[in-house]
Amino acid sequence: MKKVILLCGLISFCALASFSQERFRKSPPFPDPLQPWQLPVIESVRLSNGLTVAVCNQKNLPFISLELVILAGESSSPESLPGLATFTAEMLSRGTPLISASEMEDRIESIGGSFSATTSFDYSRFSFLFLDENLDRALELLSLMLLQPAFSEKEVVSLRRTLFYDIRQKARDPEFVGRRQLLRILFKNHPYQKSLYNEDVIMNIGRDDILAFFQKYYRPNNAVLVLAGNLNVNTASRKVSHYINTWRKTELERPLPPFPEPNNSEKVCYVELPQAKDATLLIGNVIFPAGDPDFFPFSVLNQVLGGTPNSRLFMNLRESREYAYYAFSEIEPYRGCGVYFVRAKVVPSACYASVQEILKELGRAAKEKIPTFEIEQAKSYLIGNFPLQIDKLDSLARRISEIVAFSLGDSYWNKLYENIILVDAGRVFEVAEKYLLPKPVVIIVGDKNTLFDHLRDFEKLEFYDAKGIYHYTLTKGVEE
Amino acid sequence: MRTKRFLGVWTFILLARLSSSSAPGQEANFPFPLTQYQLRNGLKVILSEDYSLPLVSVVLAYRVGSVQDPPGKTGLAYFLENMMFMGSLNIGPMQHISYVNRTGGQPNASTTEDITYLYETVPSNQLALVLWLESDRMKTLEINAAKTERIKQALLDEIGQRKAGEPYFESSLAFDRLLYPDSAYSHPVLGSEEDIRNLTAEDAKNFYAVYYVPNNAVLSIVGDINLAKTKELVEKYFETIPQGKDSRVLSPPKPPEKKQLVQVFQEPLAPRPAFHLGYRLAPSYSPDYYTLVILDYILLKGNSSRLYRRLVKKEALAFYLNGGIEKRGDAAAFKMFAMNNNDAMVDICQKAIFSEINKLRTNYVSPEELEKAKNMFKKDYVSRFSSSIEKAMFLAEIFFSPVGLENGPEELGKYLKVTPFAIIGTVNRYFTPENSILLNVKIR
Repeated sequence: MKKVILLCGLISFCALASFSQERFRKSPPFPDPLQPWQLPVIESVRLSNGLTVAVCNQKNLPFISLELVILAGESSSPESLPGLATFTAEMLSRGTPLISASEMEDRIESIGGSFSATTSFDYSRFSFLFLDENLDRALELLSLMLLQPAFSEKEVVSLRRTLFYDIRQKARDPEFVGRRQLLRILFKNHPYQKSLYNEDVIMNIGRDDILAFFQKYYRPNNAVLVLAGNLNVNTASRKVSHYINTWRKTELERPLPPFPEPNNSEKVCYVELPQAKDATLLIGNVIFPAGDPDFFPFSVLNQVLGGTPNSRLFMNLRESREYAYYAFSEIEPYRGCGVYFVRAKVVPSACYASVQEILKELGRAAKEKIPTFEIEQAKSYLIGNFPLQIDKLDSLARRISEIVAFSLGDSYWNKLYENIILVDAGRVFEVAEKYLLPKPVVIIVGDKNTLFDHLRDFEKLEFYDAKGIYHYTLTKGVEE
Repeated sequence: MRTKRFLGVWTFILLARLSSSSAPGQEANFPFPLTQYQLRNGLKVILSEDYSLPLVSVVLAYRVGSVQDPPGKTGLAYFLENMMFMGSLNIGPMQHISYVNRTGGQPNASTTEDITYLYETVPSNQLALVLWLESDRMKTLEINAAKTERIKQALLDEIGQRKAGEPYFESSLAFDRLLYPDSAYSHPVLGSEEDIRNLTAEDAKNFYAVYYVPNNAVLSIVGDINLAKTKELVEKYFETIPQGKDSRVLSPPKPPEKKQLVQVFQEPLAPRPAFHLGYRLAPSYSPDYYTLVILDYILLKGNSSRLYRRLVKKEALAFYLNGGIEKRGDAAAFKMFAMNNNDAMVDICQKAIFSEINKLRTNYVSPEELEKAKNMFKKDYVSRFSSSIEKAMFLAEIFFSPVGLENGPEELGKYLKVTPFAIIGTVNRYFTPENSILLNVKIR
């Protein structure tokens, strides 16, 4: 009997040993206290020709990331030539009178470099990443681009073709088409409208236009140069002066783009994109410009609404109702104003219901104070996530260039964490009321063969083609 | 008395700058500190401190990929990667992602031909959370029939989307079957639809028990960490996970036949004619491999490479061209894919490629062109140290490679020592007709 008891005891011990687990495995551990952390220091100087040089010393990598920002973007393109700012920026690295575009490419790649240009509403940015032992060669190349660009007819023709097909390719992406249409409606008769062109306009741009744009806006006193890597501000400014001291400044006005009136009427637009499988939704409105104090509480609000898969929109539309593949929200601050928008891809049959749910979520945030725990969770995400956004040298340099280009000031960078920590539920409610109560514009992108039957529930629907041309309005599914 | 917990501890703190080549008798080092050791259950641990940002990246890499998929069960390694997010004893389905996301961190995973990486970057005060999450799925992953069916459907959907969205998808699979005659190496990480449909929860459990064990893994932690505290946490969460049986040793790939292959593939969705061209190469990290990688930069990498410049920019023979060296376990190949306007262009384009290769058989590459290729390579190589997550992935990969972590710092120097003479020899040895595979893609 004793033997049996012993055996039973042994068996239960073995079972316990194999099935029980250490107590610490049952629940997540508490995080350590967050240690105080200093954001990387930015030092800047202004050279005698008016060029602002900002440097962020980072010792860990054998790279230098250079960002040159010209404070003129598509909003500076003439009314008759939308796309000119983009075209000019893309032409910059395409050779000098003595060096062909191919030779320029060779020289960039010879220093382990990569060079690219991007143009937004307010500025044109050039990103140049290279091995740090080649700083002099990189600055020499930059000086060739800025001081002796050829803008040759041959390269203009070649770029026209490239840009034309690039834009045509992008216009197959429902999100690109939806965002462009949303901004076209929000920025009607506004300088930002010029950024939202179709590929055809590229064909109107010629060498003389490029040269005129370049001569007017590509000036040191209208530019910012950011360098991140293993160098200090003294070395950087000395070397930059050496290579581009003959870059001449000129008198230049930089008017602030006006603040457009936010939308406040029901506006639902359908954009026909043949062969799009699902319904892509873009829902948004105009908000404050870059540098506005509302930015921090609105960032927290955006996080609660649609910053991650744990946010309200994703949890509602995807996890709970299974309408959507994804549903997120974003903020884009510009110089004259900003926009917020929700972007979601949903199954066609749930198109109407998804729009209603998104509007309901936006309305809920504007009418009911968000509970403190949700606010704190969003703040903790923003604080935890920020270092991930600058953990590569080029992303750090890009972030600094935005701060300098938008003249956000040192305090924006130095007090970033403090500004997020200070946000409370009251401030979030204030900005939600201010920016989410005006009725947003709703854009639906899809193929009418799969979507049309699901659009009849909308009271009124404006019908556009993918190029943004208005065709007709449907009222309760009937063409007006 | 405290028991000594770590076996085979060897710690080396290396702070010197990465050098392109080291002087005789002088060791080259990684440009960051490194500590490595092994737990009693066989889990290898690599730690590297980097205090530039308050972040930590954790990579738990298992030495298993599509090469280990059993015959008739292709896609199993990728299936297991997906299963890793479906919950373990203490963590519900998809909770892994939400735990990490809530901290502001980013979780992810990837499966290659030979390694499965599970990884996260989080604020450094959340290191314990990530170790808790990773250890739970290493120790008690919960696999059942319902989850199996859900993942199978997701994988079949993914293949369906690839087929519908990538018009040359099927031909690329057919090309791999020709290039890698050994079936373990030729199938895609995604697996085949038929095999996926037949997978069972039992298959997944057996595969998990063999490969997802501490003695088949390396834990690489990089970032703002305290060494002593991190070791304590690793020990707490991982050391009681039982060691698995030694995983099956894979036989090396069958040596390919020395025979030129030219075939035609009808691609129903292809908008234009195209072709896949490949050469079977020396095994990864063999002495010739370093020269082949630099040769890849001369031929195909960047806008100023010989083939891109001639075929796409100068003569407009192809409007799309990509490729390069591909490693699949011990097998390596040079692959190229070009899309052309019509069949005549296909022919001219191929002739242009062969003529560029032929030039390299007899003519030395100029010092300037070689320097350019090496600088581009160096930039790509050192880019892998540019964030904590990339560094952690790099360390795990080099640990599992035949090079090993100890010899890792010497690697860059080997690429940078490649000579014009070595390039001529390598082209003549590997870029031969009998080593080549050509698959012409015809449109219907």
